Amino acid sequence: MDAARLKANFAHVAMHGDEVPLFFYSDLFIRNPQVRDLFPVSMAAQRDHLMAALGRIVASVDRAGEITGFLQGLGRDHRKFGVLAEHYDALGTSLLATIAYFSGDTWTPDLAADWRQAYELIAGIMRRAAADDEAEHPPYWTGTVLSCERPAFDVSVLRVRPDPPLGYLPGQSVAVEVPSRPRLWRYYSIANAPRPDGTLEFHVRMVDGGAVSMALTRELPAGAQLRLGPPVGALTLDAASGRDILLIAGSTGLAPLKALAEQVAGLASPPRVHLFFGARTAEGLYDLPGLLRLAREHPWLTVVPVVADGRRSPGETGRLADVVARHGDWSARDAYLAGPSEMVREVQERLVAAGMPGRQVHVEDFGWSEP
Amino acid sequence: MTVTWHDDQKRLTPDQVRSVTFPASRLGRRGYDEEHVRAFLRLVERELVALMNEKVALWNEVERLRRRIISGGPGPGADAAAIGQDDAHVHAVRILSSAQLTAERYVADAQAYSQRLTEEARARRDEMLAEAQRHADLVAGEASARAREAAVAALDAPAPPRLEEDRRTLQAEIAYLRAFGEVYRTHLRAYTEGMLRSIDEWERKEAQALRQKT
Repeated sequence: MDAARLKANFAHVAMHGDEVPLFFYSDLFIRNPQVRDLFPVSMAAQRDHLMAALGRIVASVDRAGEITGFLQGLGRDHRKFGVLAEHYDALGTSLLATIAYFSGDTWTPDLAADWRQAYELIAGIMRRAAADDEAEHPPYWTGTVLSCERPAFDVSVLRVRPDPPLGYLPGQSVAVEVPSRPRLWRYYSIANAPRPDGTLEFHVRMVDGGAVSMALTRELPAGAQLRLGPPVGALTLDAASGRDILLIAGSTGLAPLKALAEQVAGLASPPRVHLFFGARTAEGLYDLPGLLRLAREHPWLTVVPVVADGRRSPGETGRLADVVARHGDWSARDAYLAGPSEMVREVQERLVAAGMPGRQVHVEDFGWSEP
Repeated sequence: MTVTWHDDQKRLTPDQVRSVTFPASRLGRRGYDEEHVRAFLRLVERELVALMNEKVALWNEVERLRRRIISGGPGPGADAAAIGQDDAHVHAVRILSSAQLTAERYVADAQAYSQRLTEEARARRDEMLAEAQRHADLVAGEASARAREAAVAALDAPAPPRLEEDRRTLQAEIAYLRAFGEVYRTHLRAYTEGMLRSIDEWERKEAQALRQKT
């Protein structure tokens, strides 16, 4: 395989922009009509992801070791979409047809051989990772909705029973698919530590015009069935550190942190935990009663509600980062942050600037697996 | 002007159009509005991509026609049948691609519409809530003012002369207690905050000491 030749060819092909993935998917669906069903109606985002992934793979094609983790993740991640081992050959055929079409008069048998070889390598890694994963997990879990409450007008709390039982660490998330929005997956954090009955709680905030969140915040009837992907995410408790804990949540970013607080409650000697729960308005503090109850039960837990828009705040007023800074020196603690990304970034920068070592600051990071 | 040229290509690419940079004109010299230049470059880039796509489509068309001629026209030969299938496939790909884009436009329109509706509904709701709150505050304010008036009126009511002295003493006592309460609260707040700081400090020192020992 001539890596330089392959990269130059891909750069040439990629200049044709969105037409390239458009051709690829149309070619794939015409050759294999049954595969169309694995994709959402609108595929604009899908096409961008395909080209980004291809670009990354081609850039490292001669150093496969660097992208093995990325490819294994892709292989595992695509199981929940219904991708099977036999689909990889169909994908390869359409990929080659697409590259050949856009290469025009620069297409040669040597290039065809390069691409075939590169694809075999890539698909092999993805297929093997998927097969290994198959031995451990189903491709997805069926989640039956037990209840759907709306503590605030734009937030709903779902209680779901997964089948088969789903093992996860507090702080992790799963991708969720709603029946009324087929093939659209969104990540949501599980808002509780594992329970004896195996049920999961999700906090969903309605995003204006958001395809999935709007379907989830509307009343979902009990008994509705969701699909859940495997648990992901590294916002998990570092119980061995021995340090006290600082939890900072913005809006429904509370979910993973509540799971961590519940996990602490199960420890033999719980560390001290300060939980700052921020929202734009007092109404946005949708789970405050539950948190205050938790704080009454557990003397090691302090809950500080924070409202940005100050009127009728049940606690502190101001920007979350300012309020946290006002409350003292946290540098000897482990901090866990979740919420809107600007908020998380701002608080993270402030904590580090105030002397907290960066490795003690844990933030939600979906990395490559963000759909 | 800065454009990144690759050695192996002599043609201008959409990437280069996108990433071209111009030096700023010197202070006091007239220059083009940067936004206009950017918008024009985006147009050029789109046009370039479209032209490249047309070119590659034409090239593929020419290739197919050439193969058809070589195979001896649309006769009953096996080659011709294969080429016919090939033609049909590329046409089908084109039709499906344009159907896909049409479907996406519908989805995007519906989504934008739903977003606008929910945004408007949310803004309207916030307005109504704020208005209701203002009204409630007003009513509550009036009620408490009236209650205060009534209380003052009751206190100021002409008291029997022998109570006049008691009333004045009581009023002074109330004022004193109020001021004392305020001062006491302030002190208590400062003291508690000080205590919290010392606890944090104590904790930090202890942790430090432990670290040093181990």
